[in-house]
Amino acid sequence: MPRTIETRAPQTETAPANSRRKFLLLLPYAILAGMTATIATAAFRFLRPMSAEAATPGWTDVAPVASITGDKPIMRSILVEHNAGWSSKFEEHLVYVLPQHERQVLTAACPHEGCNVSWREDQNTFACPCHESYFAPDGARINGPARRGLDPLPTREANGVLQVQFRSYENNTAERVVRG
Amino acid sequence: MVQEKRLARAQAIESQPAPRTTLALMTGMLFDVEPRSRLEAWTRTTAGAVWLLLALQFVTGTLLAFYYVPSTESAHTTVAYIEKVLPAGSWLRALHHYGSQWLTLFLVLHLAQLFWRTAYKRRPVAWTACILLLLLVFANGATGYSLPWDARAFFGTRVAEGLAGGLPLAGSLARRWLLGGVEISALTLMRFYAMHLLVVPALILFTTIARLFIFRERETNDAAPDEAEVETTHAQPRNEWRREQATRQFISAGLVFLALAIYATKFYAPLGPSAEAVSPDYLPRPGLQFLWLFQMLKYLPGRPGSVIALGFPGLFFACLLALPLLDSLHKIKLLDHPGRKLGATLLSLSLIFFALMTALAYIGDRRDPRIRAQLSRQADEEKTFRAQPFEPLRLRSGEADDETSPPPTRAAGNGEIANSSSSNSNAPAVAGPIKTSSAPDAYLKNCANCHGTRGQGFSIFPKLTGVSSKPHRTVEDLIAILDDPTAYGLKPPMKSFADKLTPEEKRQISEWVASLKKGKQ
Repeated sequence: MPRTIETRAPQTETAPANSRRKFLLLLPYAILAGMTATIATAAFRFLRPMSAEAATPGWTDVAPVASITGDKPIMRSILVEHNAGWSSKFEEHLVYVLPQHERQVLTAACPHEGCNVSWREDQNTFACPCHESYFAPDGARINGPARRGLDPLPTREANGVLQVQFRSYENNTAERVVRG
Repeated sequence: MVQEKRLARAQAIESQPAPRTTLALMTGMLFDVEPRSRLEAWTRTTAGAVWLLLALQFVTGTLLAFYYVPSTESAHTTVAYIEKVLPAGSWLRALHHYGSQWLTLFLVLHLAQLFWRTAYKRRPVAWTACILLLLLVFANGATGYSLPWDARAFFGTRVAEGLAGGLPLAGSLARRWLLGGVEISALTLMRFYAMHLLVVPALILFTTIARLFIFRERETNDAAPDEAEVETTHAQPRNEWRREQATRQFISAGLVFLALAIYATKFYAPLGPSAEAVSPDYLPRPGLQFLWLFQMLKYLPGRPGSVIALGFPGLFFACLLALPLLDSLHKIKLLDHPGRKLGATLLSLSLIFFALMTALAYIGDRRDPRIRAQLSRQADEEKTFRAQPFEPLRLRSGEADDETSPPPTRAAGNGEIANSSSSNSNAPAVAGPIKTSSAPDAYLKNCANCHGTRGQGFSIFPKLTGVSSKPHRTVEDLIAILDDPTAYGLKPPMKSFADKLTPEEKRQISEWVASLKKGKQ
C-alpha cells in the first residue's frame, strides 16, 4: 500500500523500523514473482498441446461389407478428418482390407519409415518400395528393415458398411505404439 | 575551487563500495537522482507502470502469435479459437487489447510527469524516447486493429486506407503501399501483421535500448544538492533511497498489473463476426484511444480531412519533440522559457481537445436513437457470436478434393461411397469415396502407391498433375521416363518399368498422366 512507505528519516533507526524496511526491500521480488507466476500459469495452460484423446479421429467408411470378397487384399483410399486446433482437414490414407482375415484393415504405411506398401500379386506379398521390407498376406513381417508387421486398425460395421478408425503408429519400433 | 570540488568528488567515488552485482549496478543506473519529495517519488513511478505494460505487451503478443495465422481465410477463425477454446486465451487477449490502451494512457501520464519535472530541458533523450514510444504504441495499436479480421478490423483498415489516400501529393502511392495493392486483400493483412509483430516492436526495443544504454544521460541539475557533498557526509544511506524508489516502482507496477488482470477477467477483448459476414448497416467504432480521430473525421470531409487528421497530431508531436531545441534558445537568451510555455499550452490544449472529442463522439452516439439501436444490435451480435460454439476452419487437403466432390461428412453409417461397384474381387481395386477419373488399371497397380490414385503425389513422391505443362514431359517423354527414369535425371526411388509394363500399358499410363490438369482432376 502506498501510504505504508516512509521516506527514510536519517539517524532515527530503531529495531522494528529496520525489520519493516527489510520487508519492504523484499517487496519488489515478491511483486515480480507474483506477476511472473500469474502470467506463467496462464501461458502454460494456453500453450499446453491438446491431448492425444482429443486428436483421435472418428470412424471413416471403408467399403460396403458386401463388396469385400475374394482372396486378395483390397486397397482402398480413405479420407480421414484430422482436427488440429482451429483447423480440420481431410487427408487421404491408403489401407488394405483383408477379406480372408475377418475383414481386417491394415494401414498401408510401412512400419519402417512410413512409405506406402504395395501388394505384389505375383509374389503374394506386400512390398515396401522404399527400403524393401516384405510382409505376408496377413500383414506379418517376412523380412527387411521393418521391425514389425503391418499395423491393423480398429474396425466396426455400421449399417452394412465397414468402418475404420484411422491412426498412425510410431515408426521403427518392435512394439506397436500409437502416435500421440 | 572547481578543482577542489572535483578532487572531493573523485575521493568520494573511490570510497564508495563498488556495486557487487549487476542488479545493484542497474539500480544505480536506473535511479540516479534522489526524489526531492514523497510526491515526486510516487509520480515518478509512472515509469514502472510503462515498463510493466510494455513487457506485458511483448509477452502476451508472443503468446497470441503461437496460434494466430495472418491470412484472410484463417485470421478470424484463429482469433475465435484463442477466445473460445484455448484455456486462458480470452484473458491473455484481453490483457493484450486493454494493455495497449493502458500503455497509451500511462505513456501520456509519464510524458506529463516528465514535463512537470522539466525533463525536456535536462534529459532531452528521455523526453524524446517517451514521445517516440507514444508514437510507436499508437502505430502498433493501429496495425493490431486489423489483425482479428472481423467487421471492426475491416473498417479500421478502411479508415487507415482513406487517411493514407488523402495525403497530399503521394496519397495514392501511400495508399497502395499500405494496402500492398489497390484493394484491401490478403496482402494488406500480411503487411499489417509484419508491421505489428516485427517492424514496430523492433523499433520499440531499439528506442528503449537506446534510451537506457546508448544515449543515457547522467542528470545534471543545478537545483539538486551537490552529489559529492551528499556522498561524503553520509555515504552509507546513498543506496537506501534507490532501493526505496525501486520498491515504489514495483508497487506501482504491481498495482497496475493487478488492476489490468482483474479488468481483463471482467471484460472481453472485442471480437465480432468475421469480416466476410458484415451486414451493410454495420456501424464501425474505433477503440478508445482513437475515438478523437474518429470524431474529428466527422467534421472534416474529404481530402482536407486526412491532411488535418494526420497533420494535427503530427504537428503536436513535432512540437513536443522540438521542446529541447526551443529550450536551447532560452539558454542563449533569445526567448524567456519558450519550452515551458509552449509545452504547457500544447499539453493542456491537446488534453482538452482529446477529452472533448472523445466526449462528443460518445454523446453523439448516445443521442441518436437509430445509432444507439444499431450499436446495441451489434453488441448483441458480438454476444451471440461469442456464445456460439467454435467452428473449425475446414481446410482443403491439397488436391484431394475439388469443388464437385466435397469430402464426405464423418461416417454416418449409411455408406455414401462412390465407385464401390468398381471394386473387383480379382484385382486389388482402388477406389476412394471421391469420384476418380478413370485411371488405367496399370497405373493403379504400379504407380498409385506413391503418386496417389489421382496423381496427387504423396510425401516425397512428386505429384503428376499438370506435369505435361513442364518441358520435356510429352506423352512420348513420359513413356521414355517409364523405361529409363535416370535418363531424365530422375532419382530413386523412381525406378524403371521397362520390363514390368507392356508398351500398351505404358502408353495408357502416359496419356492419362498427361491429361491430368493442375489443381483439378
